[in-house]
Amino acid sequence: MLTRRRAAQFLATAATGLALSATHVSESWAADTVFKVAVDCSLTGADSESAVRVRNGVTMAIEEANDANAIPGIKLELVTYDDGTPTAGQYDPAQAATNARKMVSDRDVMAAVGPQMSGAGKAMAPILSQGGLAIITPASTNPDITNPKFAEQYRPAGKPIYFRTVTTDAYQGPNMANFFADKLKVKNVYVLDDSGAYGVGIADTFQKQAEAKGIKILGRDRLDPKAADYTTILTKIKSLNPEALYYGGVGQAGVKLAKQSYDIIPNVIKGGGDGMYGPAMLTAVGFPAAAGWYATIASPHLVGDTKAQAFVDHYMGRFHSPPDDYTITAYDATLVIIDSIRRVAASGKKVTRDAVRDAIQTAKVNTIQGVV
Amino acid sequence: MTSWTQPWLARIPEARRKQIGLTLLIIAALLFPILHDNDADIDSMANAAAYATLALGLNIVVGFAGLLDLGYAAFFAIGAYTYGLLTSFQLEPPWSPFWEPFRQVGLVSQIAGDSGGMAVHFTLSFWIALPLAAAVAAFWGMVFGAPTLRLRGDYLAIVTLGFGEIVPIVVRNWSDLTGGAAGLNGVAAPKLFGWSFGVDATPYYYVAIAMVALLIFVSLRLRDSRIGRAWMAIREDEIAAAAMGVDRTRFKLMAFAIGAAFGGMTGVFYVAKLQTATPEMFGFPVSVMILVMIVFGGIGSVWGVVLGAFILQLLQSWWLKDLTTWLNAAGRLVHSDWLAHVDLVPSIELIFGLILVGMMLFRREGLIPATRPQAALSFDQQHAEVRRGGFKDLELEGLGGERRSGETAMAIRDVTVRFGGLVALNKVSLDVPVGSVIAVIGPNGSGKSTLFNVITGLVPAESGAITFHGDELTNLPPHEILKKGVARTFQNLRLFGNLTVLENVLIGQHARLNTGIAAAILRPRSTRDEEAEAQRWAMQIFGIFGNRLVPRIGQMVTGLSYANRRRTEIARALASRPRILLLDEPTAGMNPAETLELAEQVKSLNQLGLTVLLIEHKLDVVTTLADRVYVLDHGEIIAQGTPAEVRQDEEVLRAYLGRNAQAAAAGVAVNA
Amino acid sequence: MTTFDLLLQQTINGLSLGAMYSLLALGFTLVYGILELINFAHFNVFMVGSFIAMGVLQLFGLNGQEVILTGLPLAMVLIAAFAVTMVASGALGVAIEVLSLRPLRNVKGPAAMITTIGVSYILFNVVLLSQGADAKNFPNPLPTKRFQIGGATLDLRVILIWIVALALMAGLYVFVQRSKMGKAMRATAQDPEAARMMGVEVDRVIVTAFFLGSALAGAGGLIFGLYYNFTSFIIGFTAGLRAFTAAVLGGIGNVPGAMVGGVLIGLIEAMAGQFIATAWADVIIFSILVLVLVFKPAGLFGRLAPQKS
Repeated sequence: MLTRRRAAQFLATAATGLALSATHVSESWAADTVFKVAVDCSLTGADSESAVRVRNGVTMAIEEANDANAIPGIKLELVTYDDGTPTAGQYDPAQAATNARKMVSDRDVMAAVGPQMSGAGKAMAPILSQGGLAIITPASTNPDITNPKFAEQYRPAGKPIYFRTVTTDAYQGPNMANFFADKLKVKNVYVLDDSGAYGVGIADTFQKQAEAKGIKILGRDRLDPKAADYTTILTKIKSLNPEALYYGGVGQAGVKLAKQSYDIIPNVIKGGGDGMYGPAMLTAVGFPAAAGWYATIASPHLVGDTKAQAFVDHYMGRFHSPPDDYTITAYDATLVIIDSIRRVAASGKKVTRDAVRDAIQTAKVNTIQGVV
Repeated sequence: MTSWTQPWLARIPEARRKQIGLTLLIIAALLFPILHDNDADIDSMANAAAYATLALGLNIVVGFAGLLDLGYAAFFAIGAYTYGLLTSFQLEPPWSPFWEPFRQVGLVSQIAGDSGGMAVHFTLSFWIALPLAAAVAAFWGMVFGAPTLRLRGDYLAIVTLGFGEIVPIVVRNWSDLTGGAAGLNGVAAPKLFGWSFGVDATPYYYVAIAMVALLIFVSLRLRDSRIGRAWMAIREDEIAAAAMGVDRTRFKLMAFAIGAAFGGMTGVFYVAKLQTATPEMFGFPVSVMILVMIVFGGIGSVWGVVLGAFILQLLQSWWLKDLTTWLNAAGRLVHSDWLAHVDLVPSIELIFGLILVGMMLFRREGLIPATRPQAALSFDQQHAEVRRGGFKDLELEGLGGERRSGETAMAIRDVTVRFGGLVALNKVSLDVPVGSVIAVIGPNGSGKSTLFNVITGLVPAESGAITFHGDELTNLPPHEILKKGVARTFQNLRLFGNLTVLENVLIGQHARLNTGIAAAILRPRSTRDEEAEAQRWAMQIFGIFGNRLVPRIGQMVTGLSYANRRRTEIARALASRPRILLLDEPTAGMNPAETLELAEQVKSLNQLGLTVLLIEHKLDVVTTLADRVYVLDHGEIIAQGTPAEVRQDEEVLRAYLGRNAQAAAAGVAVNA
Repeated sequence: MTTFDLLLQQTINGLSLGAMYSLLALGFTLVYGILELINFAHFNVFMVGSFIAMGVLQLFGLNGQEVILTGLPLAMVLIAAFAVTMVASGALGVAIEVLSLRPLRNVKGPAAMITTIGVSYILFNVVLLSQGADAKNFPNPLPTKRFQIGGATLDLRVILIWIVALALMAGLYVFVQRSKMGKAMRATAQDPEAARMMGVEVDRVIVTAFFLGSALAGAGGLIFGLYYNFTSFIIGFTAGLRAFTAAVLGGIGNVPGAMVGGVLIGLIEAMAGQFIATAWADVIIFSILVLVLVFKPAGLFGRLAPQKS
C-alpha cells in the first residue's frame, strides 16, 4: 500500500510539474521581439494601497508606449512581482530577493521598477547587481543602498544598478529642516516617525539638520502605523508647547496623525516628507485637517501643472481612482526605462540589460517631473 | 493508496519501502537545482526549507510538548540578529588591544572607523554562528519559557504572544544596536574554504536542505526517545506525567530551548542568505504562519510539518504566480475573459484563510497525521487468556522483593490538607508496613484520593509529615516522589490518551532511564541497550495480565476497553519499579470476573514482596487483599483494624449508610 | 498646561481608548468563559463592524465630515446606526460560530482557535479585496463641541462614547446577572455538562455569547469610526490585541473584569505614551500582561468559571 506520506510527496512533485509547465506556457506566449519590464511592489498586506498605484503608473507608461509604438519593432510587456507575503503580513525582503532572482532569470526582462521599501531594496540590490539588471525605485529612499561604504555588498558586480526617480531621505529631511529654520524661523520642534524604514530615515536626517541649524529638538517618538490612536502622544506634544512638529513617514499613520493633530494642536506648524501627500490625505482627512502641513516632496507634487493634469485625467480614466506621487514617480521611472531601451535600439546595438543599464545611467528624459 | 499499487508494493517490507522512499526523496532534493536550473525557484525552495526548519522547531514545542506558542518568530529574530550583528557593519566599537586575540582567530578584523581611528569589524564565521545562535536562542527560549511554566495552555499562548510582540518592537526601537527599521547593512555571506556563497541561490539551497535533513533527524530521534516520550506525556496529561516521574519544569524548558535553538539556527541562515534583516520579518503574522504550517502538515508529525511548510511557502512565492499565468493562458485558449485576467496573487491571504478553515473542519489531523490507524486484532488475540496469579515465567526481579519485616515502609503523621475553607484531611496518621497490603476505605468525598494526592505531591500538605523508608516525602515535587519508589494509579484514569499502550508503560519507566538530549540524538550503544531493556521490562510487566494487553501494545489507549485501561495504568505504575504501589479504586468499572482476576494479580504482586496501599469500595476485594484497613470519613480516620474488625465497627456503618439506615441494613449492605 | 491638566487630559484620552477596549474585551471574555476559546476572528468582526457602520451612516446620506446633525435627527441616526450595526455584527458572529466552530465543538486542542485565525484571515481579505486598502473617511454627524476642564479639553464625542459604552456594558451585565439566558450562560461557563443535564441548551447559550460579543464589537467599530473619523481594513489587529490583553488582565471569562481591564489598558497606554514613549507602549502593555499572568494567572479579578481539567 502506498503510504500517505508518499502520496503527499507525489502530490508535491505533481504540483512542481504543474508549475514548470506553467512557466513554459508563459514563455510560449512571448513570441516576437517582446521585452519585459518588471515591477516589484508589495501588493499583499499592509502597503497594498500605494503598491497598486505604483503598478498602475508603470502599467500606464507601458500601455502608452506600446500604443504610440514608441520603440519601433519592439513591444514591451509588464511583469508584476509581489514582494508582500501573508507570512510577513506586509513586504517581505525574502520574497523581494526571490523576485529579484525571477527578474534576473527571465532573459526578456530588460529593467525593473521597484521596490517600495528600502528593506526590500537591500535584499534585492546584490542579486540584481550580479544579474546586471537595472532597477529604478519610485519610492524607497533609504540612502544606505547607494552609500559607497556598502558598495561591496549592494553592488558586488561593480556597476551601479540601483537608481531613483525620487530624491533620497538624505535630502528631504534636511530641506525641511532648512525651511523650518530659515523661512519659518522655528525655534523648537518635536519629531515623530512611523516605525518604517522610510519614516525613521527621513526623521533622522531632519533631526540632524535641525540640530545643526540650532532648532531645539523637544523630543522624538515613534508611531505604530497599525494603531489608531495618537491622541496620547499629541497631548504630550501639546504639553511641551513646541512651535513645530515634524513627521517622517507614510500616509498610513500620517492620515490619522493629520486628523488628530488638527484637533489637538491646530496651531502648531506641521511638516512632513513626501509620505504626507497622496490622495488618502485628501479623502480621509478632509480638507481643513490637511491644511497647515508643509511637505517636502521628493517627487515634486504637481497639482496645477498642465502636464501633470493631463496625466491625472488620463490615469483617472484608466483606473477610476486618483494617482498619488508614487504613481508619478513609477510612471516616470518607466519612461526612463522605455527611453533607454529606445536609445539602445536606435543606436543599432543589441538590446541587452547591460546596454539598457548604461543608457539609464546617462538618461535625460523629459518626464512629468521635468528632465530626470 | 490505490489498489493497483498494492501487489508489488505489498511484497516489499515496510521498513524497506520507507528506505526506498527516503532515498528517492534525498536524490530528488540533491538533484533539484541541477534539473530545475532556475535561480528564483531554487531560492524559493531554500526559503521554504528555512520555514520547514522553523516548523520543525515549533513542532517540538507545540506538537511534541503541547505548549502552544504564538510568539515563535521571536527566536527566529534573535538568531537572525545574533548573526547579523556579528558579521555586519552595525557595531563598530573602537579598536583596542582587547580585540587582538579575537583578530588572531578571525572573529574580528580591523577597519577604519567612521569617526577616524580604527574600529572593530565583526567577522564571525557562518558555521560558528549556527551553533552560537542556537545557543543564544535556546537561552532566550528558557528565559521566555520560565515564567510560563505554571500556566495552562491558553495562558501560555498569550504570554508567548506577548514576547513575540515585544522582541520585534525592541529590535525596531533599539536602533543603535540593530539598525532599527532601516535594517541591517552589510551582513556577510557565508564562506566555505575561502569561497563566498555570494548571492547565488544554489549553495544556500544545499545548506537549507542539509539543515532540514539534520533537524528532521534530530526531531525523529528525540521523538522516539525517553525525552520525546516525556514531552508527549506532558502534552497528554501534565499531572499524570509528573506522577510518573517526569520533571515538568525541566522538560518544558528543554522543549522551549530546543525549539528556540532550531529557530535561532534558521535565523542565522535566513539573514546570511538575505544579507539584511528588518524587524518586519519577525512579526506576529510570521509566528501565526509557522503555526499554520504545522497544523496544515499535521501537528506533532515530523514529516507532516516539513511538507506543510514547503507547500504553504512555495504556494506564496512560486506556485500561485505560475498558477495565475497558467489560468490566464487557459482563459485565452477558451476565450474566457474572466479566466484570462484573474489574478490569484492578491487573494493569497484569503486562500490561506480558506485552507485553514477547511483543514480544521475536514482534516484536522493534517496532511500527514502524527498517529496512524492501527490494524485490527485477530480473533485469537481478542480471546482473553486469563492469568491467575503466579508469575513464574516472568522475570520481575525488579519488583518488590521485600520481606515482611514488620518495619514501616511509609509513615504518615498528622497530615492536614485544606482547600480554602474545606478541610480535606484532618491530622491523618497511617502506617504502611513493608510487604503489607493496606486498604483505605470510606464514603465518596471522605478524602481518600486527597490522601493519595498528598502522598504523591500533587497537593501540598498544610502540616504533618510523610516519610518513606526514612526519607521525607512531604512537599517534594511529584517526580521526586516517584523516584523514591512511590507509584500510583488514578481513580479517574489518567492515561496518555493519544499514545500507545507500550508508550504509556515506557513513560512509566522514565525515572529509571538516563538518556539525555545528546544520547537521544546520537543514540550510542548504551542508549540502544537501555531502550532494549526498557522494552523487555515492559513486556514482562504486560505478562502480569496474561494476554490482555500483549496484543494491544501498539494501540492507542483511547481505543481500549475500560478494564484494559485500568490494567494499562497499573502496568504503567509497575514499570517504574516502585517499592510501594498506590492503587486508587483499581477495580472500578470492572465486572465481577475481571475484579477477581485483578485481585488475584495484586495478591501475587504482593507475594513477590511489593507493598501496596489500596483505595477500594468493593469490600470483598478489601477483605481478600488487605492486611489492615483504615476508614476515612470527612477527612479523619474514624476506624482501623483488620478487615473483619472494621466490618463490625458501628461508626463505619454509620459513615457509610447514615444513622437511620444503619439499624435496618446492618451487616448486609457492606458486602455490596 | 500644568502637570495636573496634563494628567487629566491623558486620563480622558485613556478612558476613551479604554471604553473601546472594554467593549471588545467583553466579546473575548464571553466566548472564552463558555468555550475556553481564544477567538481571533473577533479582531476582524470589530473591523467589519466599523465598515457596516460606515455603510449605515452613508445610507442616511452622511458622507465625510460635511453633514453635522443635532438634536432629534442626530439621536435617531445614532440609534438606528447602533441598532443595525450591532445586529449585523452579531449575526456575523453567529454565522462564524455556526458554520466554522460548531463542528469542532468537542475537538480538543488548538483546532478551534486555529479556525478562528483562518476566519480572521478571510474577513480581513474580503474587506481588503472588496473595499480597497486605503483608509476610509468615516461619516461624522456629531457637532464639534468642546468643554474646557482646567487646561484639559473634553470633547462632546468623548462624553458620548463613554455614555454609550457604559450603557452597553451595564446592559450586558444586567443581562448576564438577571435574565434566564444570562443564568444559563453562567451555568454553562461553570460546567457545560452539568448545565446540559439541567436542561440548558448549550448551543443556544454559545450562539447568544457570540451574538452579544460580536454585537458589542460592532458597537465598538461604530464608536471607533465616530471617534477617529476613519476606518480601514487594518484596524482590527492592534485594537483587538490590546482588548484581548485587557480581557486577560481582568481575568478572562470575567465580565466585570473585562470592563475594568479595558479601562486599565487604555490608561496604561496613555500614561506610557506620556511618560515613556509611544514606541514602547506595546512593550509595556505586554510586560504587564506577562507579569500579571505569572504572578496572578487568573487575572486581577479572577475567573468566574473554575478551571476545567
